[in-house]
Amino acid sequence: MKALHKINDILLLGLHSLGVHKVRSALTALGIFIGVCGVIAMLAINEGAGAEAQRTLRALGSTNIIIESRKPPQDDSKATGRSWGALNYGLTKRDVTRITGGSVPHMRRYVTVHQTKKMAYLAGKNLSISVIATDPTIAEIVRIKVQAGRFITSADMLRRKPHCVITAPLVRSLFGYENPLGKTVRIGGEPFVIVGMLSRLPQALSGEGAEATDSVIIPRTTGIDRFGELTVEVRTGSRTYERVEISRLILQMEDENAVLAAAPIIRSLLERNHDQEDYDVKVPLELIEQKKKQMFLWNVMLVTIASVSLLVGGIGIMNIMLATVVERTREIGVRRALGAKQWDIIAQFLVEAVTLTTVGGVIGIGAGISLPWLIRRYLEFPTETSVWTILLPFLMAVSVGLISGIYPAMRAAKLDPITALRHE
Amino acid sequence: MRELVSLENLWKIYPVGPGVPALKGVNLLIAEGEYLAIMGPSGSGKSTLLNLLGCLDRPTRGQYRLGGEDVSDLSDNRLSEVRNRRIGFVFQSFNLIQQLTVVENIEIPLFYSGLSRRHRHPRSREMAELVGLSDRMEHRPGELSGGQQQRVAVARALANDPLILLADEPTGNLDTHTSGEIMALFDELHSRGRTIIMVTHETHVAVHAKRVIHMLDGQIESDADAESLDTNK
Ligand SMILES: Nc1ncnc2c1ncn2[C@@H]1O[C@H](COP(=O)(O)OP(=O)(O)O)[C@@H](O)[C@H]1O
Ligand SMILES: [Mg+2]
Repeated sequence: MKALHKINDILLLGLHSLGVHKVRSALTALGIFIGVCGVIAMLAINEGAGAEAQRTLRALGSTNIIIESRKPPQDDSKATGRSWGALNYGLTKRDVTRITGGSVPHMRRYVTVHQTKKMAYLAGKNLSISVIATDPTIAEIVRIKVQAGRFITSADMLRRKPHCVITAPLVRSLFGYENPLGKTVRIGGEPFVIVGMLSRLPQALSGEGAEATDSVIIPRTTGIDRFGELTVEVRTGSRTYERVEISRLILQMEDENAVLAAAPIIRSLLERNHDQEDYDVKVPLELIEQKKKQMFLWNVMLVTIASVSLLVGGIGIMNIMLATVVERTREIGVRRALGAKQWDIIAQFLVEAVTLTTVGGVIGIGAGISLPWLIRRYLEFPTETSVWTILLPFLMAVSVGLISGIYPAMRAAKLDPITALRHE
Repeated sequence: MRELVSLENLWKIYPVGPGVPALKGVNLLIAEGEYLAIMGPSGSGKSTLLNLLGCLDRPTRGQYRLGGEDVSDLSDNRLSEVRNRRIGFVFQSFNLIQQLTVVENIEIPLFYSGLSRRHRHPRSREMAELVGLSDRMEHRPGELSGGQQQRVAVARALANDPLILLADEPTGNLDTHTSGEIMALFDELHSRGRTIIMVTHETHVAVHAKRVIHMLDGQIESDADAESLDTNK
């Protein structure tokens, strides 16, 4: 009980003497305030960027492996794959057989995607769109959510139905605000009935570029039926054709461990059978792990930078406390003469130092929380504040107070009472 | 009467240069309720003696018994406790804390003895009343006269009801009139049974005491009744 009273009293005593030097205390706390504020903002921005990146990567599916055809770097001396003015590259059906034929263990299922450019025609409007021919299982593998209507079904596949699912931006350009469901649109000269609508194409299908916002998804079999086996992309404005058999092969593995084991097998299989890098193996899980590591390094760096600012604040506090001790030598002597133990003096000065940093820290947290909010709101940059992005800077501030207060407090306590009393 | 202070062959040598001997074998017995003045020329060791009596410092050699307990070689913590509970100190320059009010100043020793705030407050008001400052309790030292400030210091020294009141030239910074007031307060405290030891070089102050010690060069030169003082000097 007695000890509790004393702690409370020493706290009040510390606050009291801070109140006496209001401007000085405020300026000292300001240093800590800026430090804490900065740490919170930096961590929030980094967390936000990281969380956004992770969200996009998770959308690709953490148990998926995506193999994409990629146009190899242009090299005319190497005429490989060139025939009749066409450039052949990318994944082939033989690649698909090699990969899905049993050499990759713990594969759950796979799906191929054939993508090509066609003209869409409706009521006088002509648009170049991207046609994606694939299996209905893609909806489960890359988590496609239908906004209206339905997705293509296995029945559509079996009967090679001219059905298509259309993305919202394309709906807007073709139909305005009319309901497109059930309407017929001509794609590459063939009539297709719109059965469903997506708000946007999932990332696993759109790739990095924004080219595929105007897209339709049709059953793979219908695609072969209407447009032939080969996925042919005509490069407009150039006389060369590009021929790609398979645009994408998406594997879904049984679990994340299987993903990590499968990735190198797939890479070496492809490497052995392709003499140029006309494919890209994307492993979202690897990217996530990489991102996590990168985030951690960033956090360490940011915290280090912030620590420097807090260190500067701490030096400021130590400086002020040392000056205070000299200024109040006489007071220390009086208190000692009246019965203060060394520990009482240490506690008094420590409380002052910690109070300074705590006040600076608390205000810093207030501003530090609103700062990310402002950044998110007005700079439209993703930020994320978690308990630790707030707690860590605060604890750092309090420790700075403790550490920078200890030396001055010890010096105060070690003063000889008589010498202190004689101090002018 | 009960013996309160017993000094036996007390030495104090300040560790400066070859060593400055400020006290050279002081022997002194003081009983409860005594009213003692220590006189002597400047540099004779009066303050050194009072600081030792007040447990602000430890003797180099010899024994100091306070209220029957040997306090010559206590730890810093224990010395602090002794100062807090058994000693009341009054300084020449008052030594009040300027930022604190009268009652807050008086509360300091109570604070270090661990008394709760609830109990400290009435006690410090009581002490302020005792020294006649009931109408100045919330004032700060800067708003008080020298005499009033010294009375606050006396109230503060007595807050924990110590065994002895020690005063080093308590009237040194005061004019004759205010000195008289402070001495009247001391006289009253003595009449109520308080043990008082004060250092002074002024005869008109020393005459208030019942016993006068003369120091010279770190030793007690004479120890006599106050009546022997030549007031005309
Ligand atoms: N802290 C100290 N360090 C060194 N010498 C001291 C110290 N305090 C006092 N002295 C010396 O001790 C002697 C006695 O001093 P003091 O007790 O203050 O005398 P008084 O109070 O009678 O004037 C003096 O010679 C003084 O210079
Ligand atoms: Mg002196």
